[in-house]
Amino acid sequence: MIAAHQLSKHFGGQRVIRAVDSLTFEVPRGSVTGFLGPNGAGKTTTIRMIAGYLPPSQGRVLVDGLDVSEHWREVRRRIGYLPEAAPSYAEMRVHEYLTLRAKLFSIPRTHRQAAIDRAVERCWLRDVRARPIHQLSKGYRQRVGLAAAMLHEPPVLILDEPTVGLDPAQIREVRGLIDELKGDHTVLLSTHILPEVELTCDRIMILARGRIVAQGTTDELWEAAGEGGYIVEAASENVAAVVRAVPGIADVSASPLAEGNFTRLHVTAIPNVGDRREAIAARLHEAGIVVRELRREQPSLEGLYLQLIEGREMQSRQSSQGVAA
Amino acid sequence: MSIALAIAGRELRASFLSPGGYIIIALFLFVTGGIFAMGTLATGEIASMRPVFGIGTWLLAFIAPAVTMRLVSEEFRLGTIEMLMTCPVREAEVIIGKFLGAMGLLVVMLAPTLLMVLALELHGRPDYGELMCGYLGLMLAGAAYMSSGVLASTLTSSQPVAFLVAFFFWLGLGVGAKVLPMHLSDHWAGIVFAIDPDIRLRDFTIGLIDTSNIVYFVSISAVFLIAAIISLQARRWR
Repeated sequence: MIAAHQLSKHFGGQRVIRAVDSLTFEVPRGSVTGFLGPNGAGKTTTIRMIAGYLPPSQGRVLVDGLDVSEHWREVRRRIGYLPEAAPSYAEMRVHEYLTLRAKLFSIPRTHRQAAIDRAVERCWLRDVRARPIHQLSKGYRQRVGLAAAMLHEPPVLILDEPTVGLDPAQIREVRGLIDELKGDHTVLLSTHILPEVELTCDRIMILARGRIVAQGTTDELWEAAGEGGYIVEAASENVAAVVRAVPGIADVSASPLAEGNFTRLHVTAIPNVGDRREAIAARLHEAGIVVRELRREQPSLEGLYLQLIEGREMQSRQSSQGVAA
Repeated sequence: MSIALAIAGRELRASFLSPGGYIIIALFLFVTGGIFAMGTLATGEIASMRPVFGIGTWLLAFIAPAVTMRLVSEEFRLGTIEMLMTCPVREAEVIIGKFLGAMGLLVVMLAPTLLMVLALELHGRPDYGELMCGYLGLMLAGAAYMSSGVLASTLTSSQPVAFLVAFFFWLGLGVGAKVLPMHLSDHWAGIVFAIDPDIRLRDFTIGLIDTSNIVYFVSISAVFLIAAIISLQARRWR
């Protein structure tokens, strides 16, 4: 389990940059938590503080109840960390590099080979284990980084953008691997790829400008994202007016489509009014309008994410203008 | 200690996975071999390696920073420092490991010069005490140069800058110790003489083991290594 309390990191001397600003969060044991945010939100800085690479300016991080700064050696043994871009000693062969890592983690000589074999199998590296790392593709290097992170069988895994630069098949493999780890490992996964989070994570934290703007289980965030709405496509000019008259509809925005004289409507319903599709279909039928599409639009995490991030940017812009005035 | 040795092993192997290590060793052996052939192997010369040790210590001042410049600065440039410093290792273990790796390269570099000793044995009666003393001097000077190079390497991500800082430090010290005493009072001149590495190395070359000389090089190396450890710790706080 990872717990951060009032965690902050400031950089710079005269003009202090608050890269991370009093974060308090928990990553429960056995969960896969997605750490989301735009570039520069402070994800990597936070992760580096948890992994023990950067000392926090304020606040503290506990891993399994142990303070990262005080019990650094013990904490680092419990963490498997894949830094962004998976840096490794490129001149070494894969098995040499893993052997070095095993030594650095003081894995006893008798267990070393077994640990390396296991990591190699798990990260599909068997074919390349004797190859120098600099000859490997980006995808394979990423896997080497993953294997290095998992070598000492840590209960906590921290992965900074583990799928960056991978092709779709490789992304699926990494996702499968994370699914396998679910349950007996605590995983913190940083990314800005939303579908990745929706598919693999059971908890989500969204970070913007060094602060947490939303956190909770995936379901909670889906709920916060709202009910979604409906999409209607029909070849009629007054379709928008007809749909607007349906009970329980809050708002309709129409956009003409290029082909034929079809119009696409984005329909928003009043919260908690239930499914409005039948009512919309019935009213359109009465009005004699031919419909080619009527579907429910799932609420999207992306929508929520953008809404939160934009809200945060707006706020900070306003506050900086306030300071300037 | 096993962690430091693991890092040392990695560094030593890395030196030989690129042409750099071979070039450095070849240069050293070419120059020392040439001096040996001209200075010692000539008719009437005594069976001693003094000229080789003399030039060797100067060469080391140039070669050591070339060996060490990469050690830490490259880790920062490539980002591997993050992977290293999130392993359960201390900064001290990293610095000592890197230093030992560099010293390992020095041993590999000096090993072929034992062939010169063999040549002396075949053609004369060398004084083994003096020879061992000369090698001790080279190792001690090497340790001081390498440790200063390790420190320089923690200060910058740029390898050329790391090289120049370490090289000019020793060049400045060597030249300064020759020039400054002429302009100083006897008391201060005595102090400057005491920090001149060249005088101390000459003692080793002629087979003179003075404890103060050993203390000089060992303590200089220790100070540089401790400074390097502190510098590495401090870099993460920036």
